[in-house]
Amino acid sequence: MELGKIDIREIHWLMDMFQSIDVGIIVLDRQYCVHVWNGFMGNHSGQPGEKVIGSNVFGLFPELPEQWFRRKVESVVMLKSRAFTTWEQRPYLFRFKNYRPITGNAEFMYQSVSFIPLVAANGEVDYIGVVIYDVTDVALSKRDVEAANKLLEILSRTDRLTQLNNRGFWEESLEREFRRVRRTHGPATLIMFDIDHFKKINDSYGHPAGDEVIRNTAALMRQASRETDILGRYGGEEFGIILVDTGAEGAAIMADRLRLAIEASVVHHDGKDIRYTISLGVAELTEGIETHKQWIECSDNGLYAAKRGGRNQVVVHKFTKKTAAS
Amino acid sequence: MARALPKGWNVNLSFASNGVEALKAIEAGKGDILFLDLNMPVMDGYEVLQSLHGAGMKTKVIVVSGDIQPEAYQRVMKLGALTFIKKPIIESQLSEVLDAHQLRGTSTTTIQHLEVKTDLRDVYREIANVAMGRAADFLARLLGAFVVMPIPNVNMIEVAELRMALDEIAAGDNVTAVCQGFIGSGIAGEALLIFNESSFKDIAELMKYDGKIDESVELELLMDISNVLIGACLKGIVDQLDITFSQGHPMVLGRHIKVADLLKGNAMKWKQTFAIEMGYRIENRKINCDLLLLFTEDSMDAMRRHVWHLLE
Repeated sequence: MELGKIDIREIHWLMDMFQSIDVGIIVLDRQYCVHVWNGFMGNHSGQPGEKVIGSNVFGLFPELPEQWFRRKVESVVMLKSRAFTTWEQRPYLFRFKNYRPITGNAEFMYQSVSFIPLVAANGEVDYIGVVIYDVTDVALSKRDVEAANKLLEILSRTDRLTQLNNRGFWEESLEREFRRVRRTHGPATLIMFDIDHFKKINDSYGHPAGDEVIRNTAALMRQASRETDILGRYGGEEFGIILVDTGAEGAAIMADRLRLAIEASVVHHDGKDIRYTISLGVAELTEGIETHKQWIECSDNGLYAAKRGGRNQVVVHKFTKKTAAS
Repeated sequence: MARALPKGWNVNLSFASNGVEALKAIEAGKGDILFLDLNMPVMDGYEVLQSLHGAGMKTKVIVVSGDIQPEAYQRVMKLGALTFIKKPIIESQLSEVLDAHQLRGTSTTTIQHLEVKTDLRDVYREIANVAMGRAADFLARLLGAFVVMPIPNVNMIEVAELRMALDEIAAGDNVTAVCQGFIGSGIAGEALLIFNESSFKDIAELMKYDGKIDESVELELLMDISNVLIGACLKGIVDQLDITFSQGHPMVLGRHIKVADLLKGNAMKWKQTFAIEMGYRIENRKINCDLLLLFTEDSMDAMRRHVWHLLE
């Protein structure tokens, strides 16, 4: 509709719309005094239009981020171009209550804000329109999705039974570590081990007992390791430990400590005491090992040697061209 | 440009599509007056001015450019340009300039009937060039630096081509991107602003953010710059076409991600999009950003209508 053709009734219902529309509308002058303050702003702030109009907005709402707000407004005035800010920059401009105080679980109303230069007939920007949108639902659902994704990521790399890294993620970590060591040339050692005669445990005590043994192994593995070691369940009863910044010698000590701890432990299941042992292979990442798979093979070679040697022992495997070919 | 020349002005017109061609034409004695665009392929306007200046040529150069940064003006005047006209060219303004420099009488007497064929894509490119220039001017003022402005790319592209274009922009670097929708007057689309990862340090420096550049500072910078670039560019377009757009709130599409992941997850419903691609660089800084205006296929009818309206 054209200006000048609006009759008084139209102004009346236009004003009605303006007061009732469910977004906040403010007009400020260059001194940040409030000129327009619609119903949304009045109701949510608890400060009705007649009380705020003519007053400085920073005086009325000391919690406003004045410096930030001024920066946005100044650039809008200088460039005569709109600016937008989102709840991701600042959750809110005015601290209002969540619109759903009973069923909603946000503490406050998340807001996105538009700043609009109001250009006068002479081309100058004397007033700035500020529009406040309630985006609480969008913000919360985005946060929920992010949290869910994070959880999903953790779940997707964790072994259910032991809470250790699962095979996929552990092997990725091993590959990463392999590349890192190739770059930095620091020491790194891999321990692979498995439970001796695990099939027998399952057969004589049942699978739930087997699960208990695996859980016990994981728990002792955690106790024996350092924060930086990367632990994983590699297969049914096979496990791997990546020791960052550790040579074969240190790793062998750690492996033997773990062997002794397992040997000394007793798993109680269904009124029965289960004792068991593990065999371990240790291989430091040395020149000539070309892939992370080959590194695993080296540790596995140590593990087989430990089995052949009578189990319940640690064997350090040194990589040579000959063993690589075998 | 040719359209804006005064009617009945007796001159021989030669067109050159880049700086090298222009210099050749001048050497061949075809030019007393040169209307020079700054943003050209092969050899840009600054280089042409430099060459003319160096060769001591007497050609009178009127720079006609969408690059309206104050520094662009100062640079061309220093290089010996006669004057500077901002695009889009207004006929009366051009006549005034010609009269002010008494150029109307100096030319040869051959009368040439001029028929200028207009390629719609050229018109789009000109519109984009003007819009881009305005945005560059805003960015220059915001950052207090000189913005290097290449020619905008204007193309109808397929989904796969968009991916390729994005890959090229990123050059293997991780990127951060913001998008913002716009709609109005039968035209709808999205603006996509893509930053190379390495840009933030320099932007923070130019905008005088002290202290550590953490995630929240980065987001703040990102939004400030996208407000300015997208806002100015869209305004440049709506002003030229005499239309209006509503703009949605900007959204961060992704941060520190591979370009390939930018469009992942959006099983895109569209097949083709009309794309205007504008690359911005800041002189002597490691700031690289790319602004893409992507228009829906069904906007093209309205777009053509508004453009023809503009040409009439």
